[in-house]
Amino acid sequence: MAVLAEPIKKVLRLRNFIDGEWVDSEGETKDVVNPANGKTIATVPISTEDEINEAVEAAKEAYPAWRRTPPLARVRCLFRLKELLEENFEEISRIQTMEHGKTIDESRGETRRGIEMVEVATGIPSLMMGYNLEDIATGIDEYLIRQPLGVFGIIAPFNFPFMVPLWFAPFAVATGNCIVLKPSSEDPISQVKILELADEAGIPPGVWNIVHGGRTVVSGMLKNPDIEGICFVGSTPVGRDVIYKGCGETGKRVIAMCGAKNFALVMPDANLDRTIAACMTSFYGNTGQRCLANANLVIVGDGLNDQEFDAFYKKVVDAFVAAAKRIRMGYGLDDTVHMGPIRDEKKKNNVLYYIEKGIEEGATLTLDGREFEIVGDLPDTCFIGPTVFEDVTLDMAIAQDEIFGPVASIMKAKNLQEGIDMIHQNPFGNAASLFTQNGKWAREFQYNVECGNIGINTGIAAPMAFFPFSGMKDSFFGTLHGQGQEAVRFFTESKVTIQRWF
Amino acid sequence: MENVSLTTAAVISFCEELEDKSSAFYTELAERWTENAEMFQTFAKDGGKNKTWVVRTYQETISDALEASYAFEGLVLGDHAVETTLAQDAGYMDALEMAITLEEKARAFYLDAAQRSESLLATIPSAFKRVAKKRGKRKPKLESLLGAAK
Repeated sequence: MAVLAEPIKKVLRLRNFIDGEWVDSEGETKDVVNPANGKTIATVPISTEDEINEAVEAAKEAYPAWRRTPPLARVRCLFRLKELLEENFEEISRIQTMEHGKTIDESRGETRRGIEMVEVATGIPSLMMGYNLEDIATGIDEYLIRQPLGVFGIIAPFNFPFMVPLWFAPFAVATGNCIVLKPSSEDPISQVKILELADEAGIPPGVWNIVHGGRTVVSGMLKNPDIEGICFVGSTPVGRDVIYKGCGETGKRVIAMCGAKNFALVMPDANLDRTIAACMTSFYGNTGQRCLANANLVIVGDGLNDQEFDAFYKKVVDAFVAAAKRIRMGYGLDDTVHMGPIRDEKKKNNVLYYIEKGIEEGATLTLDGREFEIVGDLPDTCFIGPTVFEDVTLDMAIAQDEIFGPVASIMKAKNLQEGIDMIHQNPFGNAASLFTQNGKWAREFQYNVECGNIGINTGIAAPMAFFPFSGMKDSFFGTLHGQGQEAVRFFTESKVTIQRWF
Repeated sequence: MENVSLTTAAVISFCEELEDKSSAFYTELAERWTENAEMFQTFAKDGGKNKTWVVRTYQETISDALEASYAFEGLVLGDHAVETTLAQDAGYMDALEMAITLEEKARAFYLDAAQRSESLLATIPSAFKRVAKKRGKRKPKLESLLGAAK
């Protein structure tokens, strides 16, 4: 057991990476603060519209040569990048803990998932292949090829600073496109590290650019006619604006992965020990700042009489609360810690608002996260403990809204159908989990629930790199998703040739 | 800490420390009792391999979506603490007895960790079992040396 060494020893001055060069921004700077100890670890520029346009121009200029680079040569850069990411695995993971606050296990898990995206994208020579058919009519053949499109913009969120941009970037680059990436200005350091390694791996200037910043950079991307498509991960209101207003006007293709309010249903036959462990990871992992986190726990009494249901409900809640009380909070570089801080004080205040709101609306505060202990001598500025509400009804804000913090709302459903109906009364459709040993219930759940990612006895239904990261309703806007084959489709256009020789 | 579920990171750190201490211990044995230096040096070298194997397996399969923080329910690292500091005046038989105890405790730790985490982690329990098996083979060799020395 150890408190691991911090890889960032002095305040870093971050710069944009445009056309293969690290360049200073003319914009103002903002501090990047480690939420666990309040220390500034970097300054990040808030770039100007001219700077985003400059990056797009560099990407546009790099595109023709990169497109003509054979796919095998392109992915060899990614193979080298993968090796460099492996060599720097620990440093990258610790950077994430410092910039975001998550625990070291969570950061290492995020690093692994990010590397897996690069690994899958190295399969582009096969994944990007088209198909053909001879003799569609006498002497006429038809074939389909997938061609890259040009320049793509990637707008990243704060909650998975390393992994989320990699849902898109390696697939875009491997298919022959060039990218301009805006990391979250709250935790942009791990993306800078990736760019250092991508540069070392031999990805040519202009192919993979970073422009730090905020709304100006985002609106600059949306307006720029030379950007063919946007990958956005963030809140639902902004995502809706990105696809319908911003990209609607400029005709860009879009993947917009947005907010969530995920439900976990626990059936009477569930393996309780394993369900509770999965729930702790799901409800409180990443301090609840995860679009796949479960937030509403529905205890289902299918097949039970009232007395049995009451006993089952109590058993689940008691186990859930007991486990939540044992969560150890502190600095994520202390490898005994289960939960780190919220990313910043403003976000913590938002969680506090919802705790107050839940009390006001009449829910019972069974475990109050406002009272907590932290391991180590740390300011409590960004920390908040696991919180549990009971007697929650679906109309309450704590059951409806995405809180993005460690708050669990517990409800009851008489049977599975009622539980599914509860899920459908929520506008989001990102993920849902069912805990049961009954295959029929499991099939009914995965068949009927309108959510993009379904977990059966899994608290976090996170698709692997070779599957699409799905989403429905207000959780996703667009058609094709990030990761895997769908990302390849998104970053290419299908061209069909019908050929006849006289 | 005794009632708190151990994180996977903490258990991996414990493994690293265990293997480092074991390697240092056997290196010392090799230096002090040169007649069996080759075997002790092999044990010391294998400590590095064990550590690499466990850490690499962990880093290659850790996922933020699995229950990494809750996979070792009930595991108490204090129960598996090992003593590897050899007294200056310790004799050869003392050292062998200490080595046998070390191997028993190390093997018990790896098996305990593997058994507790098997249902919640992917390949990590297998890595623990592999190291337990390797370390389990050391004990008869050490006992044989001890028998010969008596």
